[in-house]
Amino acid sequence: MAAVPGLRCRGRRTGGAVAAGALALASVSGCGGRDTDQRVPQAGDAARGAIVMALAGGCGCHTPKEGPVGSGGVEIATPFGTFYSTNITPDPKTGVGEWSDAEIEGAIRRGVLRDGSVESPVMPYFAYAGMADADVRDLIAYLRTLPPAERANRAAEPKVPLPRLAYRAWRLLFGRGGAAPAAAPVAGLERGRYLTEHVAICGDCHTPRNRLGTPDRSLALAGVSKRPGVPFAPNITPDVETGIGKWDAGDIANLLATGFKPDFDNVQGAMAEVIDGVAGGPGYGKAPEPDLRAIAEYVKTVPPIHHVPKDEDDGGDG
Amino acid sequence: MRSNQPGIRAAGACAIALAIATALTVRPARGDSKEDHSKLPPGPIRDRADLMEGVGKNAKAIGGALKAGKPADIEKPAADIASVMDKYVTLFPEGSQGHGSRAKPAVWTDRKKFDELAMQLKDQANALAAAAKSGGDVKAASASMFNTCKACHTDFREKMEGE
Repeated sequence: MAAVPGLRCRGRRTGGAVAAGALALASVSGCGGRDTDQRVPQAGDAARGAIVMALAGGCGCHTPKEGPVGSGGVEIATPFGTFYSTNITPDPKTGVGEWSDAEIEGAIRRGVLRDGSVESPVMPYFAYAGMADADVRDLIAYLRTLPPAERANRAAEPKVPLPRLAYRAWRLLFGRGGAAPAAAPVAGLERGRYLTEHVAICGDCHTPRNRLGTPDRSLALAGVSKRPGVPFAPNITPDVETGIGKWDAGDIANLLATGFKPDFDNVQGAMAEVIDGVAGGPGYGKAPEPDLRAIAEYVKTVPPIHHVPKDEDDGGDG
Repeated sequence: MRSNQPGIRAAGACAIALAIATALTVRPARGDSKEDHSKLPPGPIRDRADLMEGVGKNAKAIGGALKAGKPADIEKPAADIASVMDKYVTLFPEGSQGHGSRAKPAVWTDRKKFDELAMQLKDQANALAAAAKSGGDVKAASASMFNTCKACHTDFREKMEGE
């Protein structure tokens, strides 16, 4: 995933000029002019982008505990190897400062990097594939306001054979998310579903994956058993016995806003990070209350699934 | 045949044992914060876990009363929380770290702060009970108290596996 240096430089020389030209054309032509890139036709709104970032849990995978926000280098252990999140600050040398909007959009929604290589699905581009054009545009505008941090991306240590080919194959088979809407749904269950599936992406942690690393939709949000490289996540479907069926939408929204469960115990660890943000970055707690409510209302409607994920390494017959 | 009978009996015994083991290990949903304290060694380690579980039940009752708009129902659980905190801080003797306890080493290395937060909780729980009794601002009083819960958990309680 971290590109071979030669490839990267090549991409910059050729891609950079084209991207700069496209951006110049786009900004000159404005709203009414012809857009050379339909996907990200005009500059986004960084203030709205901050909200998208908050709803995305602050892109916290990309922020080390000690900061700076977005500087990458966070170790992510998976059954397919160890990966390190990338620098998404506007640093020109080690971040995405020289990338065009379309190139950043490609990395978020389409799983392709500036040098044309395909990302490993540790980056959940297949979920963000459904993020609305307007939202990704605003998110990119906000990312460009982050303080640039110099931290070179660290090469991943994949355990799969022929990783670059494997990522490409995976993307071909499983990674196409379908067409994203131009603008996000504004209210109701539609908005809740959109935020849950394509921005907050709760399933990224709470939906188990099968051996090929694809989400198992039959256990959507039903929790993940702990095993090497896979952290435990509880069942958040409305199942009364094994999920959070006893919670109402207000309880769920309150948890997303404050980290408090209905008994006022507080979540800690990774869930606390996506709520509180990391190193001063935003989290769900900074997102607008109606959006958290929409997510909560939607999560109350997903199929209740009876599933008890294991939170210990059982050894034995696991 | 005689040689089959022990085999069948053993298989039957295994099946029953498996069923019992499964029943005993089925855990309640994690969302409800219930933990199995029977695995903790008896004595202060288990006692403090049980005591805090009681605090949690009272906290839940307070949350429910706030939601239902019944401030009068807050007084008793708040007073109950306050009443256990003096005992609570005595349940962390030196050397009672580990053994399945979620107490972080910081309890002992930063004991002063731990004890302060416990007493702060006691004071705030009493203040909440008083507010509930006198018709005061229970929302603000409970928010302060819950934030103290969170502060202590953040510094002194290990996160649950996978959190």
